[in-house]
Amino acid sequence: MKISLNWLKDYVTVGVSAEKLAHKLTMAGFEVEKITTVDADTVFELEITPNRPDCLNMRGMAREVAAILNTRLKPVKMPGVKFPSRPCDIKILDKKGCPRYLGTFIRGAAVADAPEWIKRRLCSVGSRSINNVVDITNFCLMETGQPLHAFDYDKLCGGRIIVRRAQEGETITTIDGVERKLDPSILIIADEKRPVAIAGVIGGKDTEVTQETKNILLESAYFDPILIRQAGRRLGVSSESSYRFERGVDYDAVGAGADRAVRLVLDCAGGIVAGRCDIRAIGKRPKSAVIVLNIKKANNFLGISLAPSRYKKILRQLGFQAAGGKKDTLRLRPPAFRSDLKEEVDVVEEVARVIGYDNLPVSLPAVPAASIVSETRRGFRQAVRELLLAQGVNETITYAMVSEKSLVQARQGHLGGVRIQNPLASDQGVLRPSLLPSLLSVVAFNINRGQKNLKLFEAGKIYTASGEREALGVVLAGRQEDDWREGRKGAFDFYDIKGVVEQTLARTCGQEIRIAASPCSFLVPGQGVSVAVGGVVAGFLGKVDGGVLEAWDIKQKNVFFAQIDLEELRSFFGKERTYRPISEFPAIVRDVSLAVGKDVSFQQVCATAFRLGRGILHAVKFSGEYRGEKIPAGNRGIVFSLRYKSDERTLREEEVNEVHEKIVRALVSELGAIQR
Amino acid sequence: MSWNFQEIQETIRREAAQIADLKDLEAFRVKYLGRKGLVQDIYASLATLPHEQRPVVGKGANDLKNDVSSIVEERTKAIKARQARDPGEDIDVTTPGVTVPPGHRHILTQTVDDICGMFERLGFVVQEGPEIETEFNNFTALNIPVDHPSRDAFDTFYLELPDPDRPGRYQLLRSHTSPAQIRVMQKYQPPFGVIVPGRVYRPDAVDASHSFMFHQIEGLLVNEDVKFSDLKGLLTVFCRRFFGEKIKMRFRPHFFPFTEPSAEVDISCYICDGKGCSVCRRKGWLEIMGCGMVHPKVFVAAGYPAGKYTGLAFGLGVERIAMLKHGIQDIRLFFENDVRFLEQF
Ligand SMILES: [Zn+2]
Repeated sequence: MKISLNWLKDYVTVGVSAEKLAHKLTMAGFEVEKITTVDADTVFELEITPNRPDCLNMRGMAREVAAILNTRLKPVKMPGVKFPSRPCDIKILDKKGCPRYLGTFIRGAAVADAPEWIKRRLCSVGSRSINNVVDITNFCLMETGQPLHAFDYDKLCGGRIIVRRAQEGETITTIDGVERKLDPSILIIADEKRPVAIAGVIGGKDTEVTQETKNILLESAYFDPILIRQAGRRLGVSSESSYRFERGVDYDAVGAGADRAVRLVLDCAGGIVAGRCDIRAIGKRPKSAVIVLNIKKANNFLGISLAPSRYKKILRQLGFQAAGGKKDTLRLRPPAFRSDLKEEVDVVEEVARVIGYDNLPVSLPAVPAASIVSETRRGFRQAVRELLLAQGVNETITYAMVSEKSLVQARQGHLGGVRIQNPLASDQGVLRPSLLPSLLSVVAFNINRGQKNLKLFEAGKIYTASGEREALGVVLAGRQEDDWREGRKGAFDFYDIKGVVEQTLARTCGQEIRIAASPCSFLVPGQGVSVAVGGVVAGFLGKVDGGVLEAWDIKQKNVFFAQIDLEELRSFFGKERTYRPISEFPAIVRDVSLAVGKDVSFQQVCATAFRLGRGILHAVKFSGEYRGEKIPAGNRGIVFSLRYKSDERTLREEEVNEVHEKIVRALVSELGAIQR
Repeated sequence: MSWNFQEIQETIRREAAQIADLKDLEAFRVKYLGRKGLVQDIYASLATLPHEQRPVVGKGANDLKNDVSSIVEERTKAIKARQARDPGEDIDVTTPGVTVPPGHRHILTQTVDDICGMFERLGFVVQEGPEIETEFNNFTALNIPVDHPSRDAFDTFYLELPDPDRPGRYQLLRSHTSPAQIRVMQKYQPPFGVIVPGRVYRPDAVDASHSFMFHQIEGLLVNEDVKFSDLKGLLTVFCRRFFGEKIKMRFRPHFFPFTEPSAEVDISCYICDGKGCSVCRRKGWLEIMGCGMVHPKVFVAAGYPAGKYTGLAFGLGVERIAMLKHGIQDIRLFFENDVRFLEQF
């Protein structure tokens, strides 16, 4: 909100420089965001927090300034008006939406230019001058905070005012020339035939006060803040009036605001008051409740030792009624315009604010050793992250929302996700049930900008109807980092994504990892597998299907993806590991070279070997694979070594030979391998 | 004369394994294939052998010749290849070293870890809460009234997930990390200090400084006699450590429904040193976090006995801090994940 220093000085003595005042206001909770000089005036742009609608006007700010500077408010002289007893024709059909409506009928006013002093005041706060009557309503709004609206009485059909909800299909052209569609959620002011204003928001063009206007109906009302807010948002209109109604005007000050405006109209435009009508749903609002302030407690809380008299003074300047209570207490009644003050802490804040937080002491809290256990979820995520980083994979963070379409394109549509009722855009309508669309988007984004070789991961959330789950997504695209000593390395393949995922999970979970063929529609047939850790199936990995890549316009074929549900594996993480003595006994290694059929997996070879390993087979290490002329068609050659070792003794050559031969024989007889 | 071919083969294999360079290899070749080499000797001996042995020995000699030839051929290739790579002692030390370059931790993760780490060293414990929340935790328990604008669909994402506790109402995406305060308080008794990092969501149209998803860090300290001065002290220590000892600070009264008194913390703009620049919008101050003393109603909503505890709370926006600290001018960069951005941090 803009406030003019000259205008402010009409109501309060300001004995300090503009800069000093700006600083004081900022430090009392009214941040001065900008100071400008207009003619011989200084204008502050203030941020008023939503709990302080009482400060959205000059008099409210003057009251604050008086408290902050510890100075005096100047009395405002305002001759009263004699009102006739003749009522106006006003009817309220929605008492909840409009609990108070005060209409004043002024006959024979001369609409003309506003007097210079009003124009100057309005100009200083950026309000355009229209004519004397409209300017007076704006002036009073700025001065008192009570929004007012003036109708051309002769244009009101039947001379009536009806406060009601709009009907479906009704429209109004507002003073800005825009025709607006109305509906029953919107409160309107109507005459006998049509809407003449959107209550509290903006007036209608047909009934606005112009140079030709002779008779005026002046509206001063209290509208329900929520209704006004909703109407403003629905119609996309915000005005000085709606801004104040939304935050709540002072119910009891509706009359004072009207009287001030009527007085000014009579003074500036002449005319006589020909009717007045004040309709209230409730009489006077109940007095605010008494708050008891414990001075000792307040002093302790703030770390100060302020005398009760000082508390009393500050609070009285803010409009409180203050009286001494029992020992060390004050009995306080907050002013009616401060509906934000309800309990003791609210009062403590008022005092702290006026003193200035910067004038309060500083201490360091003792942070108690808490009995709260830190969560393994975060530790697990961090460990996974570190391992991926160590393998050269970059961390990404992507939006949790995706489009329904992208889920279908990634063939994840069946997973559902969680729909958002009010998405910001239609392509952000679903909380993702899979990380695939998000990471493919990142891949496409980078490829389009010339970065074709990508190793990326995200440790993020996925969402299903049963809630959110922590998941890891990894994507590899393009080629591996070259080693200049060995020439260019190849494109990523299945074993790269498998290696990254295996290393990460083996280290963090310390469990056996098993891969099983698992056809997925979004992975290339034969290169899509499920991943089980310690017997728990936790995700999948493989080569992304070309059809899926096409939807993202990714031309590269070698894009690999893995997704692991970290929630499933969390219990494996963080287990204490017990030291096993390092065996002093030498290992014996035997190489094996076999030709095996297509349907024989290395996993089967290992299983057979360990089954017959009699506890001395320590490890099976894969060292190569080849196909070619020397291998029977449809077979492949595999080379691996078996490592025999005991923790207790040196193995005898014969004993190893016996086991080894048995294993090789079994591979031949059971798996149909051909020894080479 | 008789030849033990098996033994010879063994020897060849052993010797072949020890060949280190081309000189060794040549000696090896001469030894077996040279004019006075073993293979020639065997051929020469054929004449002295009985007729029936000659084919066997002849075949043995042929096999030897083939084996040694192929070993020599293979080894020559390998050694030459190695020599091509290994120029001996005369290497160019300025050509790049080789390793798998480690990946880059996202700058937002780094910022979160840095901030949480500082509070952990002060005794706070990291806690996390879910992103899908109830209206109770996100608003009601935090003293945000039923008609508060922030509850509108304009300011909060509502989900098509029914709220199990409130028939007819729906769960939402938390619009701040503060509901995690409620969860911590419902689960633990004071005293404690917790720090809660997390993602939050608000339906803000995306531009250079707005995002509908962003990160916050929330702190909460509850004990029997936490004072306003503790709030000032704690955050002063944090800001000095995080932004540098030289910065100036101010606590500006503000309004949050869940704290009372509430404040915003400004630090002097370190770009212009407080003189005013475009980053601080000519103010000389940068707003970096909101804070305050926990509102008594929040304690009551969390189930603590009224009046028993006091507490301090604070919250900050991670993107904003990272943008200020690293001179990042567009919030969208965080979520585009251009590797040329990621790899700068
Ligand atoms: Zn600056």
